[in-house]
Amino acid sequence: MRLAYYPGCVSRSTGREMDASTRAVCSALGIALEELEDWNCCGATHVSNELVAVGLAARNMAQTDLAIMTPCSICYSNLRAAVERLEEPETRARVNAVLTKKYGGAEIRHALDVILETLAKDDDVISIPLKDLKVAPYYGCLLTRPRGVDSPEFPMLLERLLKTLHAEPLDFRLKTFCCGGPIFMPQEKAAEDTAFMILSEAKRAGAEVIVTVCPLCHFMLDAKQRSLEQKRSEKIGIPVLYVTQLVGIALGLGPEELGLNMNSVSPLPLVERVYERHSKFI
Amino acid sequence: MSFDLDEGFRQTILRMAGGEVQTCIQCGTCSASCPTAHLMNPSIRKLIKLCLEGKRDEALMNDTIWLCTSCLLCTVRCPRGIRPKAVVSACKDLAEKEGIKTKDAAYEQIFSKQIREYGRISELPLTGEFLLVYPQGMVQSMEMGLELMPKGKLGLGVEKIQGRDEVKRIMEELGK
Repeated sequence: MRLAYYPGCVSRSTGREMDASTRAVCSALGIALEELEDWNCCGATHVSNELVAVGLAARNMAQTDLAIMTPCSICYSNLRAAVERLEEPETRARVNAVLTKKYGGAEIRHALDVILETLAKDDDVISIPLKDLKVAPYYGCLLTRPRGVDSPEFPMLLERLLKTLHAEPLDFRLKTFCCGGPIFMPQEKAAEDTAFMILSEAKRAGAEVIVTVCPLCHFMLDAKQRSLEQKRSEKIGIPVLYVTQLVGIALGLGPEELGLNMNSVSPLPLVERVYERHSKFI
Repeated sequence: MSFDLDEGFRQTILRMAGGEVQTCIQCGTCSASCPTAHLMNPSIRKLIKLCLEGKRDEALMNDTIWLCTSCLLCTVRCPRGIRPKAVVSACKDLAEKEGIKTKDAAYEQIFSKQIREYGRISELPLTGEFLLVYPQGMVQSMEMGLELMPKGKLGLGVEKIQGRDEVKRIMEELGK
């Protein structure tokens, strides 16, 4: 399979391990990625003018004829929303009037969806089944909203993937509750409140690891975890992995390739546990 | 604060967020779904009412629009097919154009400015510029810097794309 790849801005900074693990897993699964030429920011959740946001997405989408895959739920949601808006002839005409390469339609996919589809066809590639691993599947908001690959209220895509990896998806009540990420800079307290609720709930549910599909969710739950623990005087200590990192572990890829050394709460003890359990089974 | 009906404002919101906004039945599903509703005054439901009543100042000068996390649950659940988040975005855009000076508006403006100038966001320069406006964010930023820097996750440079002129055109022409 050949796909255009839209890494998104965070892949060059706070989401480096998301980018590394996406590339490594796709390469292992025989998915050829061609990085979008000269891609620009999608505007994330901070470009208030809708038409500008649509224009920014359209410029990216006009760079290729291939289906576009991104590992970032924010980019994903923005591109998909733009595809819908660009079906309106008036909007498309206004946007195309300012674009160098004109937009003529696009197919947008999330890395999770592409990987699940590939593994559904051939799960022999799973060399390290994640037996008995208790995982909190955390979707956040934008993978499925406003309209995505699964139900915006009760998505099950991650659970399906986790079962394919032989892991144990927990019934995670806050799986679609917002992490607060988009307002963490100017509205620190509000954002931290929601992020901490999610972490506490994962702990209560007995999660060994939380899996995410969005770099901002990951930032709020992983990079901020230590600081949140101190402020709330409660130990959490749960590693937070990008879905691509978790798939990579099951494919037997190394910590280096998956950027596991870049996570704030180290997932390395967890990886050791996975390998230990695996050696007992064989 | 003015309490006069500003018909122009009402029409602008309807144009930006969709004509279906005027079919709002004030059921409050949006507010009930909102993860930051407990911090908002007015609520999202009330914000829509203010827009429809043309109460421009009350709709634009509040914390509510800046507390929206863009989670889109309101938009998924609205029984009238309204996109309450689009109403919030329209209010934010208008507030920014009016030059409202709050930390939240500043953050969005700096974010947009980076895209307009470079085509991409680089997190360290973004944070740096925001701290000039809002030094109170320093503690949080230092904490995060210490967390991310040793992991090589904060690039010091600025990412620039080739098509900066085109991006600038998109932002200026379409943002009018």
